Amino acid sequence: MGTLDAASEFDRGVPLVLQGVAGEPAIGASVPPAIEFRDIYKSYGSLQVLRGIDLKVAPGEVIAVCGPSGSGKSTLIRIINRLETISRGEILIDGVPTAAFKGRRLQELRTEIGFVFQQFNLYSHLNAEDNVSLALRKVRGVPREKAQARALALLDRVGLADKAKQYPAQLSGGQQQRVAIARALATDPKVVLFDEPTSALDPEMIGEVLHVMQELPKSGITMVVVTHEMSFAREIADWVVFIDEGVILERAKPADFFSAPVHPRTRRFLQQLLSPLSVA
Amino acid sequence: MGITLDWAGVLTGQPADWLLSGFLTTIYVTVAGSLLASVVAVILLGLRIAPGRIGRYAAGAFVEVFRNTPLLVQLLFWYFAAYGLLPQSWRFFIADDHRWAVLPVNVIVLAPEFLCATWGLGLFIAVFLAEELRAGLNAVSKGQAEAAMAQGLGHWQTLRFVLLPQALVNAWQPLVGQYLNLMKLSSLATGIGLAELTYQVRRIESYNAHALEAFAVGTVLYLGLGLAMGQLLLLFGPKRPGMKQPKAALATLGKVIAAPVPGGSHGV
Repeated sequence: MGTLDAASEFDRGVPLVLQGVAGEPAIGASVPPAIEFRDIYKSYGSLQVLRGIDLKVAPGEVIAVCGPSGSGKSTLIRIINRLETISRGEILIDGVPTAAFKGRRLQELRTEIGFVFQQFNLYSHLNAEDNVSLALRKVRGVPREKAQARALALLDRVGLADKAKQYPAQLSGGQQQRVAIARALATDPKVVLFDEPTSALDPEMIGEVLHVMQELPKSGITMVVVTHEMSFAREIADWVVFIDEGVILERAKPADFFSAPVHPRTRRFLQQLLSPLSVA
Repeated sequence: MGITLDWAGVLTGQPADWLLSGFLTTIYVTVAGSLLASVVAVILLGLRIAPGRIGRYAAGAFVEVFRNTPLLVQLLFWYFAAYGLLPQSWRFFIADDHRWAVLPVNVIVLAPEFLCATWGLGLFIAVFLAEELRAGLNAVSKGQAEAAMAQGLGHWQTLRFVLLPQALVNAWQPLVGQYLNLMKLSSLATGIGLAELTYQVRRIESYNAHALEAFAVGTVLYLGLGLAMGQLLLLFGPKRPGMKQPKAALATLGKVIAAPVPGGSHGV
C-alpha cells in the first residue's frame, strides 16, 4: 500500500552521478543494487515503525530520505547496517541478504558501510586522528603507523588536517561532524549512511558539512541521507524518498519532488518546511 | 592539670622502629589490596554486564554479601575460619621462611595475617569499585557504543577501547575515594594481628604509655599517606581530554553565585 515500485524507475537509466566517472561499469540488470529493501516491516512491541518498505539503491546513487519526525526514516537507514533488526522482509546488500549475519561476518559488513550520526558520536576520549583510525586498527588490523597515515589523509580530505591532535570537546560542531565523516570513510566503505547529519548544528556550520558530503559521490560512494536540508536534496541527491508513518509515499527525481509532489502529505510536508508560519 | 608531651618516647628507639615498620606494612597491604580489588572489580563488572544471566546474578549476590556485612567480620572470617581450610601444604609453604617475601623494614608479606588482610580488604573494596565503574559505564552515552558497533567493533572491543576508558574517567573521583577507604580500613586488620600502623601505635601505648603521642603520630601518618595517595591517584589517573578541569568549572560557579543577584550581571 502506498509504496512505489522503485525497480521500474531504477532500470530506466544510469544514475546521473555515474555518467561521468571513468572506469565505472554501466549499471545494468547484472549489477545488483547496493542496497535493496524487500517488503520490510519493523515494529517495537505494538508500535509499527516501518510497514512494507520496498526500495532499491543503485551503486553510486545518492538518496535523500525525508519525512516528518517519527516517520521511520532513521529506522530505515539503521536497518541497513543492522543497528536495528527487521521484524519481517528482507534486506540485501550487494544482492546478499544480511539479516542472518552474526559475529565476524556482521562486523565485516559494518566496515563496508559508514554511518554518520546526528549527534556526531565521536569517541570523546580519543583525538581526531585516533577517532578515524580506531576501526582500521582494531577491526581491520592495520598497523598503527599506516592507520594514522590514512587518518591524516582523510582528515585532510575534510579540511581538518591541522586538527588531528584535537579532542572532540575542542572542536566545533561542524568540525566534529567532519571528523565523523572522515571516520565513516576510514574503512573505505562502498556505502555511507547519514542520519540527519546537520540537524544538531548551528546554522552557520551546516555549509561546511554539506560541502564535504557533496564531494563524496565523486568517488563513487553510495549515499543514503536522512535530511531536512532541502538544498542538499535538491542539488546533490539523485532521488528523493518521502516517507510517512512507515510507508514510502513518494520517490522522485529532486526536480519533480519539489516542483510537482504527487501525494497530498508530501505537499503539506514541503509547505511546512518551506514556510512554517503559513501552516495553521 | 597540664599535659606534658614526650615526643622522644615515640620518635626514637624501639617505638620509632615499630612506627616505621607499621607505616610500611600499611602501605604494602594497601598496594596489594588495591591491586587485588582492581582485578576482582573488573571481573565482577564483566560478569554484571555480560549477556549470561547466571554470571550476572552470581556477581550481584557477591556484591550484596560483601557490601552489606562488616569488614571486620569478613577479616575475622578469612583469618580464623577460611584460612584453616587451605590445603596443609599451602599453609606450610606460607609458614616457611622465604627471603623474597621479606620487604623493607623486615616486613614478611607471605604470612597468614598479611595474606588474609590483603584478601579481605581487596574483596571488600572490589565490590564498591565494581559498582562505581558500572555507574561510570552507565553515564557513557549510548551513541558511543552505537558508533563503535557501526564501525564493526565487536562487543568486547567496544567495551575495551571505547566504553571502559570513558567509564574510568567518569568514575575516577569516587574510585580514588574507594582506594583511600581501603587504606584507612586496613587499620581494622589490627584485629587479625597484622602489624600495621594502628597495631604498632597500640603497641607503643602498652609499652611506654605514650598514648597521646603515639596516636597523634599515627594519625598524622595516616593523614599524610591519604593526602599523598589521593594527589598521586588524581595526578596519574585518567583525565577528560580537551575539557576544562572540573576545578575551573567550580570556580566559575563560585563567581556566578558570588555575583550580586539583583543586577543580574551574568556572573561578573
